Amino acid sequence: MNPIIKAENLGKKYQLGPTETVRPTLREVFKNSVKSRVKQISGRKRSRRPSVWAINKISFEVQAGEVLGIIGPNGAGKSTLLRILARITRPTTGRADLYGRTGSLLGVGTGFHPDLTGRENIYLNGAILGMRRSEITQKFDEIVAFAQIDNFLDTPAKRYSSGMYLRLAFAIAAHLDPDILLLDEVLTVADAPFQKKCLRKIKDANHEGTTVLFVSHNLTSVQELCSRALCIQSGELRDEGKPETVIANYLKDVSEMGP
Amino acid sequence: MASDLPVGISAPPLPAPFKHLPAEPVTRIRPPSFWETVDLAELWAHREVLYFLVWRDLKVRYKQTIIGAAWVVLQPIVITVIFTIFLGKLIKVPSDGVPYPIFAYTALLVWTFLSNAILSSSYSIVTNAQIITRVYFPRLLIPAAAVAVRLVDLIIGSLLLLALMIYYHVPLTWNILMLPLFVLQISALALAVGIWGAALNVRYRDVGTVLPIVLQVWMFVSPIVYSSSIVPARSRLLYSLNPLAGIISGFRASLFNLSFDWSSIIISAVITLPLLVLSIDVFRRMEASFADEV
Repeated sequence: MNPIIKAENLGKKYQLGPTETVRPTLREVFKNSVKSRVKQISGRKRSRRPSVWAINKISFEVQAGEVLGIIGPNGAGKSTLLRILARITRPTTGRADLYGRTGSLLGVGTGFHPDLTGRENIYLNGAILGMRRSEITQKFDEIVAFAQIDNFLDTPAKRYSSGMYLRLAFAIAAHLDPDILLLDEVLTVADAPFQKKCLRKIKDANHEGTTVLFVSHNLTSVQELCSRALCIQSGELRDEGKPETVIANYLKDVSEMGP
Repeated sequence: MASDLPVGISAPPLPAPFKHLPAEPVTRIRPPSFWETVDLAELWAHREVLYFLVWRDLKVRYKQTIIGAAWVVLQPIVITVIFTIFLGKLIKVPSDGVPYPIFAYTALLVWTFLSNAILSSSYSIVTNAQIITRVYFPRLLIPAAAVAVRLVDLIIGSLLLLALMIYYHVPLTWNILMLPLFVLQISALALAVGIWGAALNVRYRDVGTVLPIVLQVWMFVSPIVYSSSIVPARSRLLYSLNPLAGIISGFRASLFNLSFDWSSIIISAVITLPLLVLSIDVFRRMEASFADEV
């Protein structure tokens, strides 16, 4: 069977150096270009800005219907990988082909506007995430019921508690019905009952055929949810296989690095 | 009931129902390349996002302000009043036989659209950074939405113009049929400059600071508070190189039954359209790194 996601040799290089923290002004750009020209003329070697590969040579395939967990320490490149698959940023090398409609939840309440009501935000957020207006109307009641915000539908989102905000955001994303769902560490801020509800929703979606990629530090939920796992460390694919095995190897690595 | 089971011991993942995968990838992810072009089909597929971005901005404006729509016309009205007093009444600037207030208001309405559209679209990528770093849709829709919002303002402001024309007994003529062309042309110009500004402003925030100054100068080199007929004939060609000159006089000609200055209108179109293509191309080249830089 053909994979639904095929990633080959994906790499993403970021430039480091002062420009990463402070944006260059036009004057600096001009000054620097003159400087480097002078250096070229005077025969001095042009100073290279240091760069770092956030991810490097990552290849993998995902079959339709899988739930793939991606684990690894902070800064390993998990989110970069997901951002590339979600088309938020482009890879420096390699390629990936996705054979299905992609929905991504890489942050909570993307595009929510604090002055708009819950009802308005459902439409706005749904459209931004890739739903058609007719689809949103059709699923509206389901979304509201899932988020448990019936009484606050016409309240501006700025008056929502952070819990309500999160519930609404997840409810919309959960009703996207994509072929491929990309999830980045979004559930960690939710309370336990809602987290459980979300995990169940992800499972249901999976049973209906959605392929899920799930980045998380919560190894327990990776183990519960995923049929396979990848472990990324320092931008490289370190391990791949059954979640139990990958998690066990990862924990062993971590304890070996030890204090 | 299955949902009462603890999550940990629920059924093992079942094979998902067979789904027919398309033969061709829905999405191909590749490194940025020099040869890419703008994907028009993709823009069209995301047209509802454009609609909702415009809808959001209009909704928010009417929630945050008490007099809502009135703000839209207030800016050109105030400037019209000031220029009517100083230029129209005191200095008596010629206005091609049209009452000075509507002569100036027409151009100021168009100018307000252009400058607001350029400013808000130039800031649009930066102000929508949160969306850009979290979700994908063609980024071009963001500055385009900013321009579309201002187009709505222009339409609202035109209602007042209509009232003024009735008040001053200026009749509509067949020339009005040309008006949509100039609306299209000014929108293309606003998009061209706004899209360029939006892309540059992500990398160089100076752009946002410099723009208001540039716009100030642009306003006074364009026939807005005066008529382009005061420009001497030998400088007319040079004057027409400002793409706004032809458009403004085109607006006036279609509304006030004046003769169309075709050479300046054509020069304007010949400058505006390639500028739009070029700026979309600049935007396309830079958008690959927006999420990393914004």
